[in-house]
Amino acid sequence: MRKRARLLGATAMGIAAILALVACGSSSNTTSSSGTTAGTAKQGGTIKIGTVGPDSYDPQEYQTVQADSALHLVYEGLLAFKDATGQASTELVPALADSIPTPTNGGKTYVFHIRPGLHYSDGEPVVASDVVNMVKRNLFLGGPFSSFFDDIAGTAAYAAAKKPNAPLTGMIADDKTGTLTINLTTPDTRVLYAFAIGESGVGPKRKAVFKNMTGHPFPGDGPYTLKVVSPSPTNGEFILTKNPKFDIPTIAKGNVQQIDGMVSTNVNQMTENVINGTLDYMTEDPVGDLLPQVEAKYKDRFLIGPGYPNTYYFFMNSTIPPFNKLAARQAVNYAIDSRALERIFGGRLHPTCNLLPPGMVGYQPITPCPWGDPAGPGNIAKATALVKSAGLTGAPVTVWTNNKDPRPAIADYLRSTLDQIGFKASTKTLNQLVYFSTIGARSTKAQIGFDDWFQDFPHPGDFMGNLLTTEAAKATPSFNAGFVSDPYVDAQVNKLDAQPAASVASGWAALDKYVNDPQHAYVVPYGNEEDTAFYSPRMNVAQCSGYPDLAHRVDWLLLCLK
Amino acid sequence: MARRERPRGPSRRAYNRAVAEEPAAAVATEGTGFEDIARLEHAVGVGPWKLAARRLRRNKVALAFAVLFILLVATAVAAPIWAHDVAHTDVGTNHLTEVLKEGNKSVYVVALNGIPAGPQWFNAGGKFFLGADANGRDIMVRLLYGARTSLEIGVSAALITTIFAVIIALLAGYLGGIVDTVISRIMDVVWAFPVVILGVALGTALSIGGLKIGPITIQSGSLLIPILIIGFVYVPYIARPLRGQVFSLREKEFIEAARAQGMGPIRIMFSEILPNLASTIVVFFPLSIANAILLEAYLSFLGAGVQPPTPSWGEMISEGINLITTAPHLTIVPGVMLVLTVLSLNIFGDGVRDALDPRAKVRIEL
Repeated sequence: MRKRARLLGATAMGIAAILALVACGSSSNTTSSSGTTAGTAKQGGTIKIGTVGPDSYDPQEYQTVQADSALHLVYEGLLAFKDATGQASTELVPALADSIPTPTNGGKTYVFHIRPGLHYSDGEPVVASDVVNMVKRNLFLGGPFSSFFDDIAGTAAYAAAKKPNAPLTGMIADDKTGTLTINLTTPDTRVLYAFAIGESGVGPKRKAVFKNMTGHPFPGDGPYTLKVVSPSPTNGEFILTKNPKFDIPTIAKGNVQQIDGMVSTNVNQMTENVINGTLDYMTEDPVGDLLPQVEAKYKDRFLIGPGYPNTYYFFMNSTIPPFNKLAARQAVNYAIDSRALERIFGGRLHPTCNLLPPGMVGYQPITPCPWGDPAGPGNIAKATALVKSAGLTGAPVTVWTNNKDPRPAIADYLRSTLDQIGFKASTKTLNQLVYFSTIGARSTKAQIGFDDWFQDFPHPGDFMGNLLTTEAAKATPSFNAGFVSDPYVDAQVNKLDAQPAASVASGWAALDKYVNDPQHAYVVPYGNEEDTAFYSPRMNVAQCSGYPDLAHRVDWLLLCLK
Repeated sequence: MARRERPRGPSRRAYNRAVAEEPAAAVATEGTGFEDIARLEHAVGVGPWKLAARRLRRNKVALAFAVLFILLVATAVAAPIWAHDVAHTDVGTNHLTEVLKEGNKSVYVVALNGIPAGPQWFNAGGKFFLGADANGRDIMVRLLYGARTSLEIGVSAALITTIFAVIIALLAGYLGGIVDTVISRIMDVVWAFPVVILGVALGTALSIGGLKIGPITIQSGSLLIPILIIGFVYVPYIARPLRGQVFSLREKEFIEAARAQGMGPIRIMFSEILPNLASTIVVFFPLSIANAILLEAYLSFLGAGVQPPTPSWGEMISEGINLITTAPHLTIVPGVMLVLTVLSLNIFGDGVRDALDPRAKVRIEL
């Protein structure tokens, strides 16, 4: 009964969210050619946003949704995602480029033209070679997103040269004409998305130098400028102020004059601050008993729904014991009980057997799930037998996690389960700001642990390519925390990436099934999280919630005051 | 201060002989009250420890809290028995999806919305006596094992603090000069940092990478890390008052006599001065344990102390904060245990201090 009641509640919230979406959708649909939001959205004012913080203020270095939400307002790339809510938020629009090019040369060449007259916030003109500089920074700094550009010709040679100014033969920039030609080694439909994500934001090449600039962010070309008041991860602050020099007609200019980002690790305090209006929005989900309280009392300013496509899973390092043995990986898959994890998420988790999330092209529920009903109990007996047969009983395992709620509880559940099936497990908890870069380093030798993936762009390659390919495993840190390296997966990703995702949806679905089948069991996907958006009474939630933005979770450019 | 200056060791025997030979002199100036009784007891040859024990026996409040502390220790020792024979679980097992029978109705150990079951007392046959936490773990079991952790850390850290503080106080106080200057300045540096901040800084650093000194490696999840951190940060707080006492003692006649007999500094420190510090050390020790337990709770609450899944009261309080309105038992139960333990040690410690020297104002200044 409780579940049904909750489902009904969720359905009601869903309807409310849809109504809100319709309202926001109409608002975003009226985004004028000048980029301003038409209608009744109030302009100006200052809002305060609570967040656990950008993990970096360097656009080529950050990894988290929180960083993306803020920094995509500061740094624009060749392309961008439409400032809208719902499915429209995944549409590509030209940003620095004057249009989205059609590939030539069998899908291997793209020619962009930079809009004339664009300037950074410091007054310096935007030129085509700044985009080349951005790609080089990604490759040179070795950030996790560097693998997005691997199909550009010459990237291997550039990386091997280990010099910032080494040539990148696949990108030819002409600053006089504003033309940028990009040659790929193989057709890759992900590349347009790669130039639209926040990590492709550019800066003036004289200032966007080849070192981590998180302490001294360089000027951007987006609708807001960035000032880091305090970089503290526990009590930091950054300020986004409207950029008077911004003039890209396809990008919203933003409604509020200033956004103060208040960085804190205390999500409970953040929630209380939104309740009492000290904060106007928070990037985090309310946790513990504040969630039901917020759901019940503040329905008018709390939105919940499937929102941002995501998958929660456990990575297993397939290069070191014990998870280099198939039986160990199978055992964990058999043992996991998503119903238990659903409770840790306060009911916001929907059990899954797939790595691809619902709503993604290529998503087909794997039925029957080889590990048993995803919404049913785990098979502890079978898992225990597998561990025993592999001679792994008593093998020490460290479960890695970070300190953001409810992740320590998730890790403890996994530890308890591993103990039950015969391993000798312990947990290791890191600060969430360094967690993903730590487990993504091969030298850490993290055996198993918490992981999640929220889509960067609506393409199954964003999941498969980043999380399970050999190319992704080469980056440091890598998103492929299990360091999975399977030639079949690599070949399939390359093959499927070459064609529009929708036309090869069945291929992606087959690959999803392949990586989750008992012969491989590379990861342990266990659920898709409903995301939330919670606003202060000052915010105009009905018309400008900015939720759900399927590319940025909530589009801060659409937020406005009442 | 006179009692602490009373000589021990060879000189103490000479002192006792003198008192035995002239008891009349010892009782010649009779007064009234506690001190006079003490003086009288002394006069008939009662040893200082026996005397202290008599005084302690008269302090019923201190004794009551000592009994409470012993009970707490006993429950901690009995943790595995409760877990195995009553709760039928162990300290770390998650029971998230299990269902409990409460009379005619069934309740989930953790409901779908993440709210855990409250105290079951004996309705579920002893399972979840004090309820469950958000991971479906038995709070009573974790509480008892948490007591073990707290006591283990408290006693070990207090021992480390005391040993180092005594050595440092003896060296600085007796040798003086440059040795005292160097040691005192180092202690001042440590003293300059608030205990909790220093503990959190060290705990955060060591909880990630562990500790490696030469061939010795301590894993990041080991209890040794909070023990060493807590033991270290309190050293100046004990060493400083002890050093003052050593300064005073080294000027006494019995030390001069020892020097005149040709005793070396090390022997004088450990056989002449150290016995005279004993009563102060005995007073400090339970108070140090109480402070160590409190600091462990602070650090664990902040994630810089005991690392999960090892249970600790501070960690349990921290985990319960998220559910404080719907499941307040998660924070109240370990909080009450913490208060009782620290209170019992402090009151017993005060009783010991009063028994050893009723006029002493020995305090650990934090």
